[in-house]
Amino acid sequence: MPADGTGRPAAGAFADTTPDHRRPGPRVALVTGAAQGLGRVTALRLAAEGFAVAVNDIAADERLTGLATELGGLAVPADISAPEAAPAIARAVADALGRVDVLVANAAAMAMSPFPGADMDQWWHQIDVNLTGHFRLIQAVLPGMRAAGHGRIVIITSGWGVIGHPNATAYAASKAGLIALTKGLGRELGPQGILTNAIAPSFIDTPQLRVDADDAGITLEEMRQRYREQIPVRRLATPEDIAGAVAFLAGPGGSAMIGQILQPNGGVTRTRA
Amino acid sequence: MTEYGTDPVAVITGAASGIGAACAERLRDGGWRIAAIDLRDSDADLAVTADVRDRAAVTAAVDEAAARFGRIDLAVTAAGYYEEGIDIADISHGQWDRMLAVILGGTVNTFAAVLPHMLARGEGSIVAISSELALAGSATDLHYVAAKGAVLGLVKSLAMEVAQTAIRVNAVAPGPTDTPLLAPDSLWREPAYLATLPLGRLVTPGEIASAVYYLATEGSMYCGEVLSPNAGAVI
Repeated sequence: MPADGTGRPAAGAFADTTPDHRRPGPRVALVTGAAQGLGRVTALRLAAEGFAVAVNDIAADERLTGLATELGGLAVPADISAPEAAPAIARAVADALGRVDVLVANAAAMAMSPFPGADMDQWWHQIDVNLTGHFRLIQAVLPGMRAAGHGRIVIITSGWGVIGHPNATAYAASKAGLIALTKGLGRELGPQGILTNAIAPSFIDTPQLRVDADDAGITLEEMRQRYREQIPVRRLATPEDIAGAVAFLAGPGGSAMIGQILQPNGGVTRTRA
Repeated sequence: MTEYGTDPVAVITGAASGIGAACAERLRDGGWRIAAIDLRDSDADLAVTADVRDRAAVTAAVDEAAARFGRIDLAVTAAGYYEEGIDIADISHGQWDRMLAVILGGTVNTFAAVLPHMLARGEGSIVAISSELALAGSATDLHYVAAKGAVLGLVKSLAMEVAQTAIRVNAVAPGPTDTPLLAPDSLWREPAYLATLPLGRLVTPGEIASAVYYLATEGSMYCGEVLSPNAGAVI
């Protein structure tokens, strides 16, 4: 949609900010980190909402290609921390499905370690994947969104990016960076009809819990119980809870949400640590 | 006759107009029964004409809704009014008292009335309508802003009090919304103001209703949160 010189499209120029919950929203979604857990469930939810969905993860394995087949979508495997990955992903999606209307920035790297001994390679890896990788991917899909005059960017940040966490300083810093990115992009791109928002989950019942349990040397159920005790509502979020938040922000009902950080984390970020 | 007892039921204050009416419409579209509490009549499944400042009247209305429909799944406190452009020195005691009584008192009265029904079932959702002015402040209309801010304190505290049940308490803080509360000559309708918003326009009542609907239907992990469909007014 050509700008009129003010940088603001004419009223009604972009259909997906039309506030009517019955209208179909944007049509093509790209989800990073979609091979398992939250990303996978989010991709399935968006497909159920009628989106054509492209799924990205670091490995071109059966989990990713199988999901793409299940969705009738597209697998775009790539390490988003590689500078050349983002334009290649955007091109592949555009060729197969059309320009990206909704980007869900979900892929993340996490390494727990005490700050004094923090490894710089680990620091940069988490920043490169979580923050810079998505910065580049947003750059790559933006021309299509600007040409269309609409778009939704949904960034999965973390409760730890809001309140911090011991031994997760690099991860928390990368996620806090995503929060600032969300707010800046919200302000900068909002006038062009591109709405950027974030979701800050805390404890989610995903395969990552098994890793946490193994690290702690306890059973999966003991791990769940240990996490529950840190959550005011005493329940872990399901991936479906978070996918629901993505669907809200990506769908017609989210048309007045800009630069917001949704926190469906059972009150974790409201407690005084 | 329609069979009641299976459809989810919402009690909405201020349901006759503006944001409350939009919430009623959205929920009705989603298959909900609506019990309306408003100074004016409406076409809700149960429309009670009452002033939310009147605790006994609100309690009676909520109890009637529970008796009629068998359950209360959701309460939305949208009753309120706005007085624009009043400097702090010019807010009379009467204006202050009335604003606090309607917005804060009305919200407390509704919370108190629905909570026993939700506690009896062990689940439910309460969504209070606050305002972006409660987050960002305002150079005028301090009585309105103070009342809407107090609602947020109430929401966060009740949310924690009932956290270990399946009752969720949250708020929606709309940006300037195109309702009858904004006069035709309201400063919030001025093009110069709207141009400062990233979205460049007023929020619609339907957009507020969408946030309420989302919290009511998929919001079980929100505990004392504030959703802000505000067109970018407060980021």
